[in-house]
Amino acid sequence: MAGPTWDTSRYLALFAGEATEHLEALGKDVVSLEKGATLPLVDSMFRHAHSVKGMAASMAFDGTARLAHRLEDLLDALRADVARVDAGIADVILQAVDALTGHVRAAATGVPLPDSQPLVDRLNRLTTELTGKPPAPSAPLPPPPANELPLASAPSPVPEPAPNPRFALKLKINPASTQPGVRGFLAYKRLGTLGAIFELKPPLDDIKAGRVPQGAITLELETDQDEEAIVRTMRTVGDVELESLGAVVKVQPPPPPNAEKDAQKPAAQEPARTIRVRTEVMDHFLDQAGELLLATARVRELSRGVPDSQRPPLDEAVDRLHLLVKGLHDKVMQARMTPVAVITDRLPRAARDIARKRNREVELVISGDDIELDRAIVDELADPVLHLLRNAIDHGIEEPEDRRVAGKAPKGKVTLAVRRQRDRVVLEVVDDGRGIDVARLERLVVERGLLAADHVRAMSEKERLMLVCLPGLSTATDITDISGRGVGMDAVKRAVDSVGGTLEIETKLGKGSTFRLSLPLTVAMVNLLLVEVGQEIYGLPIGKVSGVVETAREKLPMSQNAPVLQFGQSVLPVHDLSSLLEVPAVPSAAPFAPFVVVDGDDGKLALAVDRLLGQEEVVLKALSKPLDLVPGLAGVTILGNGQPVFILDVTRLVTA
Amino acid sequence: MPKKVLVVDDSVFMRDIIKDILAAGGFTVVGEARHGVEAVEKFKELKPDLVTMDLVMPYRNGIDATREILRSDNKALVVMCSALGQETMVMEAIEAGAVDFIVKPPRAEDVLAVVKKVLGEA
Repeated sequence: MAGPTWDTSRYLALFAGEATEHLEALGKDVVSLEKGATLPLVDSMFRHAHSVKGMAASMAFDGTARLAHRLEDLLDALRADVARVDAGIADVILQAVDALTGHVRAAATGVPLPDSQPLVDRLNRLTTELTGKPPAPSAPLPPPPANELPLASAPSPVPEPAPNPRFALKLKINPASTQPGVRGFLAYKRLGTLGAIFELKPPLDDIKAGRVPQGAITLELETDQDEEAIVRTMRTVGDVELESLGAVVKVQPPPPPNAEKDAQKPAAQEPARTIRVRTEVMDHFLDQAGELLLATARVRELSRGVPDSQRPPLDEAVDRLHLLVKGLHDKVMQARMTPVAVITDRLPRAARDIARKRNREVELVISGDDIELDRAIVDELADPVLHLLRNAIDHGIEEPEDRRVAGKAPKGKVTLAVRRQRDRVVLEVVDDGRGIDVARLERLVVERGLLAADHVRAMSEKERLMLVCLPGLSTATDITDISGRGVGMDAVKRAVDSVGGTLEIETKLGKGSTFRLSLPLTVAMVNLLLVEVGQEIYGLPIGKVSGVVETAREKLPMSQNAPVLQFGQSVLPVHDLSSLLEVPAVPSAAPFAPFVVVDGDDGKLALAVDRLLGQEEVVLKALSKPLDLVPGLAGVTILGNGQPVFILDVTRLVTA
Repeated sequence: MPKKVLVVDDSVFMRDIIKDILAAGGFTVVGEARHGVEAVEKFKELKPDLVTMDLVMPYRNGIDATREILRSDNKALVVMCSALGQETMVMEAIEAGAVDFIVKPPRAEDVLAVVKKVLGEA
């Protein structure tokens, strides 16, 4: 087999990423297939298999390509007669998908590819049965043309329709025009409605910036309109004259291979295309954008020291700068937003596997998976959400017989619903299973010595439910680990906490449970409550702050020699932030001192601080060594006045 | 039949100038709006042939109002009135669907030249 004529190792990551996407989509499609086989569905599966085959061939992974090819043939046969799909065939398809996934993983990690010949044979036989004739012999797949690379954005080559005629245009912007750049831009946009624009000189960015020497713009317009229409269109643009218009007679080269075609892409309106960017690049962008914001705040701060007479133009300039930088930062944040579907797409397949293995019948309903979150949050929650699903099916939903006895439908229902709620995203996993037996949970917790009995008794209903998240609580059934990852509820809680979210549990014995994650949209910006302790300023994430109480220190009731604070129905332990941080306090002379009520690991607590300074939305910066080893510091930011402020992770601070 | 124009600007002074220029040019000013919210309302109510839209206004700026107007009628003709130095915003407005622009302070010849061109009367 002829090897590829270029270095494929550069594309390995791209191959692995994209092939995995296709295979996950295939897996999802098979689950849908079992509910009802339709032509569009089988068609979609065919195309996914086809893509994987093409990519594997380009990378010279012949075994993979061969397997994908057989799967493609089987799906092609099914396309002709969708009614032939049955559970047995679906199972074989799934096996093929799993095998291909294994191939891709092996390829990505550099280990030898598995041998899937038996599966290939099985697929062959099935296809032959369906079509009555064996599939075309698997001749060595021809090496693809040298330039056909698995570029994510290039669609598979479609025969080019005969291109429209091209015209060469020369435009002149009126020298008296006060905004030549905008005039040029307007002309470009107007002409763009007629067709595709090529060879734009000067380039669009220069035009937009007003850099148009002698107001001269030249371009080529590919359009199905005639010259009359072009002249008419240009007449509607003020201050821009159409100096010349002529047809361009070009000998079109035969459809170029993808790579070259991309370079020749028209400069004009096309439906939104996407590109792949490595996450490190995006993280770098976000970091830089954050730094820009901080630097701008600093400039603004400094500009306050400039004498009043010079302020207005400086203020205007700084405002504009801030607007631009904020715009940039927002766009970068937006670019990081990823739909939740990225983690929920593989759930139907997982649900099916878990349900099969544990002899449950489950219907999984997913909604709102197009809602977007910062990719860092989405990445962090992938495993936790899978675990919640596993729990819901395994611990929640009862076996069909038990359900029938309980008067429920034998098929259990698990819903994963995502919705926006003001500035948060709420993700709920709801099951109509047996619910959480809180009494049993309490007993277990006390028996295992995880918490003292009276501590548990003093807890509220909500807090008692959260006991499921205590580390060391995995019940015997958890040990029969289904996905091989051993993630427990405590890991789920930690993951949710780490992205600044909260976890809430609701349950009704015999009826079902709801696990509710409330997540911030992004991680990189955080809303802080600024507090002062001594000479230092610290930030507390607002998401963890329940409230503030101002009261006289001496008036606080004592419990076991420690002060406590009444907050609503609860009594909270009081901690001095100054002693937690080992920073000398300088209490104000005022009669009342502020106490900030924050969420800790097992309930709320009150932090005594010297002064409250207000709220601010800041750019969160990570701590680098050695500061990241200090417990209780979650990050740092810089205020407009240049002062660095540590952001505190209260739970770590208290337990440290 | 004279063409109908809706004038949008948060400054009474500016609206008056533009109204006078348009009237002298033979256009009928059928309405005025002081900000983006009113602009969209009046547009839907009066259905003018053309809108002159200021960029920076309270409650809703000219770019957003333009976008909404075009959403309700994708053939709407909106001409932005910008101050010097607002090129980026004008381009954003053009991206949102504005069809042309005038630079303030408005000179009669410029305003009328643009309006006539846009309405196809040049």
